Amino acid sequence: MGLVQFLIKRVIAILITIIIVLAVAFTLMHVAPGSFFSSANISAQMGALALQSPILYQKYLKMFEARYGLNQPLMEQIVQYVWHSLTFNFGTSFENPSVPIITQLKTAFPISASLAVGSTILSIIIGIPLGVMAALKRNTWIDSLLTTVSVMGQAIPSFVSAVILVLVFGVWFPGLLPVNGWGTPENAVLPIIALSLGNIGVVTRYMRGSLIEGMRQEYIRTAQAKGVRYWSIVWKHGIRNSLTALVTVIGPTFAFTVVNTVWVENIFSIPGLGTLMASAFPSDDIPLAVTSVFILSLMVMGMNLLVDLTYGLMDPRIQLK
Amino acid sequence: MALTIGEVSTQKVLRRLQSNMAWRRFRRNKLAVVGLGWVIVFVIIGIIGPYIAPHNYATTNFLAANQPPSWNYPFGTDNVGHDMYSEVIWSVQNALEIAFGATLVSFIIGMALGLWAGLRGGVADMVIMRLVDFMYSFPTYFLDLILVTKLGRSMGPILLAIGITGWAGYARLVRSLVLSMRHGDMVEAARSLGASPAHIARRYLLPNAMNNMVVALAFGIPGDLTVMAGLSVVGMGLRPPLPSFGNMIAQAGSNILGYPWLMYIPAGIFAITLLSFLFVADGLQDALNPKGGY
Repeated sequence: MGLVQFLIKRVIAILITIIIVLAVAFTLMHVAPGSFFSSANISAQMGALALQSPILYQKYLKMFEARYGLNQPLMEQIVQYVWHSLTFNFGTSFENPSVPIITQLKTAFPISASLAVGSTILSIIIGIPLGVMAALKRNTWIDSLLTTVSVMGQAIPSFVSAVILVLVFGVWFPGLLPVNGWGTPENAVLPIIALSLGNIGVVTRYMRGSLIEGMRQEYIRTAQAKGVRYWSIVWKHGIRNSLTALVTVIGPTFAFTVVNTVWVENIFSIPGLGTLMASAFPSDDIPLAVTSVFILSLMVMGMNLLVDLTYGLMDPRIQLK
Repeated sequence: MALTIGEVSTQKVLRRLQSNMAWRRFRRNKLAVVGLGWVIVFVIIGIIGPYIAPHNYATTNFLAANQPPSWNYPFGTDNVGHDMYSEVIWSVQNALEIAFGATLVSFIIGMALGLWAGLRGGVADMVIMRLVDFMYSFPTYFLDLILVTKLGRSMGPILLAIGITGWAGYARLVRSLVLSMRHGDMVEAARSLGASPAHIARRYLLPNAMNNMVVALAFGIPGDLTVMAGLSVVGMGLRPPLPSFGNMIAQAGSNILGYPWLMYIPAGIFAITLLSFLFVADGLQDALNPKGGY
């Protein structure tokens, strides 16, 4: 199958998935606007208004419903919402009606994207040599140390390691690296470390497994018999084949990284999509919540597409389908 | 008749032999044994927690707020005077309910769908596998967030949300196990003797897939615990005053500069617990799947 056909097929699949996600998310999140009014953020004012002047409160509610189209039939709202989202016309959030969501996304998205992509790149750069080392020194203390550490990195969630980093650099050694905020390159260091610990573990373990498997192949023995130098065998026949396979774990790992970005942003108070989510979900701010889910899912699906394409290009044995 | 009795007893002996060997293999993995010890302690605390906790989780004492660990408050107190020791004990119970409850829900859904897809094939298989692909194509954590928003932030809804979004991996595993056995000699023999598909599934496929499934289930527990705590990080976890490890860690994140003990203990216990469950899963893998199937 040609590359173009493959691309078209996958983009259509992504579109269908996205439409389902949006429709399901919107339907599930569709709670009466009253729940937004009674949520913690504005309940004080609206509660007072409801007590003092029920008529005014009702009027305000009506205005609010009309503004966000909440008075229309649900089916119509869903279709409209999906259509608007697909054309990147997200409207405004409940909480911040003067700023369009797209403006908020323009500052938040690059931050989250750079964290997620930066951590993925860093963990590949660090994980591959570690995995190779563990595989070549198989069954030595180096191997068991690396394996244990990468298991721990994978098991301990990013928000726990983030909190530990805040403790180390905020309480024990204050001033070395900033532990919250965003703006300077130093701000990115700790969040990316917190994000990468798990990914490095994934890459290391995968690389170790696939290199051990790869070094057992017949062609390795052939090369050895021919008298090819050790490192040349390891590089040409071992590592390069494992790298192709490594591309396939990047997809699922990236989905995991995006979720972790949401958590880490909240611990380090970084104004990305994750913090937008944390302000939208608890206060029932439907437009902002669904939009942030939409954008992050889109990011994951885009990455998966890229991974499949790279895999197809790197390994001629794989047929794109 | 005598033959049947003999056969049964041989089977029994064989099974006991197998479980003995599995336990011996499990014991060889030292980390797994340590992990199992911690998990057992965890389960016991979860069961008797409400009786041994010195305070109720909702009890606040403003006179004793923000105290570092002391004799009266071994784990210190937070900004409204919750005794962190009691909070941790109550959290263990919540975590256990999620760890076993939610994982079991996804396990059952995944097993049913995977068996169905594998045995039926055809349209059922296609629809179920599309559904699995769909669940895999974006992070299910976001679905959890949406479901929890809809259903509410208490124990049942969170358990259900994590449960009904986490089944895709199990379904895929069961299906592949069934497919690998479906055309094997064993199933062929049973079918030629006239066994019904349901009988084949119950008598031959499930028992043989069980080892792999138990290992997968064990590996699923730390993931579900992480997601549960992750809900708290964006403010959608158990609604306070109900305590959970996620709530404590998220809160500690914002108070850490002044009151670091609020972080040491909950985060430490949570991390050790996740690792223990993982080590046990790893040990089960060695014990039940010595060839490393999963």
